Amino acid sequence: MRALEFCKRNLKETYRDPLSLGFLLGFPLVFMLLFGLAIGGETTPEYNIGVVDQDQTEISQAFVDEALAEAFEVTPYDDPLLALEDLKVGDLRAYITIPQGFGEQVSQKRRGGEGNIALDITYDESDIMVAQQVISIVDTITRSFAGIEVSVTLNTSPIHIESKITYMDFIAPGIIVFGILILIPTSARMMVRDKEKGFLGRLLTTPTRPWEFISGYSLCLFAVGIAQIIIFMVVAYFMGLDIVGSAGLVFLVFVLTALCCIGIGMIISSLTKTENQADPLSWIIAMPLAILSGCWFSLEMMPSWFQSIAYAFPFAHTIEASRSILIRGTGLEAVSSDFLFLVIWTVLVFLAGIILFRRSMVS
Amino acid sequence: MSELNNSPLAIQTCGLTKHFDSLVAVDGIDLSIKKGELFSLLGPNGAGKTTTITMLCCLLKPTAGTASVMGHDISEEPFKVKELIGVAPQETTISERLNSWENLNLIGRVHGIGSKELRKRSEELLETVGLVERAKDRVGKFSGGMKRRLNLIMALVHDPEVLFLDEPTLGLDPQSRRAIWDYIAELKGKKTILLTTHYLEEADVLSDRVGIMDDGKIVALGTPDELKESISDRGTMIISAENLSDKVTEGLRTRGMHVEVDKATSKLKVSGKDLNFREVVDYLHSQDVTIHSASLEQPTLEDVFLRITGKELRE
Repeated sequence: MRALEFCKRNLKETYRDPLSLGFLLGFPLVFMLLFGLAIGGETTPEYNIGVVDQDQTEISQAFVDEALAEAFEVTPYDDPLLALEDLKVGDLRAYITIPQGFGEQVSQKRRGGEGNIALDITYDESDIMVAQQVISIVDTITRSFAGIEVSVTLNTSPIHIESKITYMDFIAPGIIVFGILILIPTSARMMVRDKEKGFLGRLLTTPTRPWEFISGYSLCLFAVGIAQIIIFMVVAYFMGLDIVGSAGLVFLVFVLTALCCIGIGMIISSLTKTENQADPLSWIIAMPLAILSGCWFSLEMMPSWFQSIAYAFPFAHTIEASRSILIRGTGLEAVSSDFLFLVIWTVLVFLAGIILFRRSMVS
Repeated sequence: MSELNNSPLAIQTCGLTKHFDSLVAVDGIDLSIKKGELFSLLGPNGAGKTTTITMLCCLLKPTAGTASVMGHDISEEPFKVKELIGVAPQETTISERLNSWENLNLIGRVHGIGSKELRKRSEELLETVGLVERAKDRVGKFSGGMKRRLNLIMALVHDPEVLFLDEPTLGLDPQSRRAIWDYIAELKGKKTILLTTHYLEEADVLSDRVGIMDDGKIVALGTPDELKESISDRGTMIISAENLSDKVTEGLRTRGMHVEVDKATSKLKVSGKDLNFREVVDYLHSQDVTIHSASLEQPTLEDVFLRITGKELRE
């Protein structure tokens, strides 16, 4: 078991270096706390939203009181023109018109029926950032509101709907994915350091095979990644993240994502010779991947060609799957395609890592 | 030596060549090193010694030519070769945050040595190079000499059949260098050893055979004595004398000898092809020169090296 011996060595090298250990474990903690505090934990940003309820059903009222009111400061209007006035003077950031038939559509959905749920949102175009966030949140809330499985008897009293979406729920998957993406530079650094210092060269004169080297590094980094994810999730939980679905399943999605990042880091280290080369290259790769994942800006707001590129990479799928599990409580079947995508990417990245490593073994 | 002549080959290279772009680092060398032989590669910096060793360790693909270690081709069966070799690289490469035990353990384990045997062997090796007392300290805190010693025994912990030692004593204080060379002397005959070094006097004492490399080629090959003999036709005398006149030195020069005079110490260095000690002394007497002392200098590997490559080994 050369890989295990090698992994043991790598772990010792890591945990005996207080600075790097502090970075690896302290970083996710500080990162998550900062984000959590910056967005105010459980409290959502104080967006003033107007609501014109033209449906006037129990469901639409519940939607306003139970769902929207959780996320926004809601002001009801009877007349859309008045809402428009307030939007123009800046008293509102946006207003939502709930059209007639909304309640009917939602109850159809809940019975498993087809059909779209339409909402009109009017907002100030010049206020792009806030407008996009508001739209994302409204979208998430609405989907969650309509998508939760509620038994038929509960239909008349939608008060029981557990859609208490906090801003943390909405943003946590993105922060965690960004944190996991930092495993790319971490992994590249670990491997390229041994290469630069010649230690890898020495081990290459032993009968250790390429896959054993890769496993030795990956297992060590995997342990680091798991520790990081646990820290991320625990801190997020204490900062107000509600886990509606299975925490284990979300954990699995994050773990797969971490593996994928480790693989990408390995590839980078195979293509570089020194830490000074590997570090900038890792960031040049990790940053676009972060933007493409939608961890900072919701992908739904981006042009469709951009979205197609984004969904070709695994990280948008991570956010999609984890958000779906966290907020809507979906199971493995619902996220199986995202899951499969992650698995395929991870396998491909590791194959490429081994091929490149084999090539760099003999120069 | 006699049993070596009949033993099979441990290392064989055939036209082994390595180009780095336009630079020819190793230029078609043919080497046959027998089992149990201690072979030293000498040469100035950049002669291609390390490149040769790196190819033999299967870390560098030859541009042309072949090589085999214990009968296994380095390109065809690299992992077979790697099972049989121990390498102490020129740069000290140890895992800084592990202690000596753990470093030795890692190398032993990846070679598949059982933990009991590994412990015994590590203990012996640490004892030999005097690292037992510090064995549990992290090696990052070691002195340069201690790291170097650990670097060496890491090549030995799995009891390899063939040892590659690239400048094992580079940058060490005389005492540590002495300790390492004593240990290598102990290994002599038990292992096949290919080493490179800058220290010619030590190569002289230890090596069964020496190969002198220059510009990627083996320019001289033989036992240290053979090599020295090869230049013995050119003798050197050091004479301490009085009454030296220009006429006398001129007279020596006309006899085809190279003469250097150090006026301050009134010492005379005479060298030449087929130098005859008696003849020189007689000539000086005949010229009324008073000789205090006269000695014939034995050629050293340094002389051989200088003669063959025209370069000083240490710049």
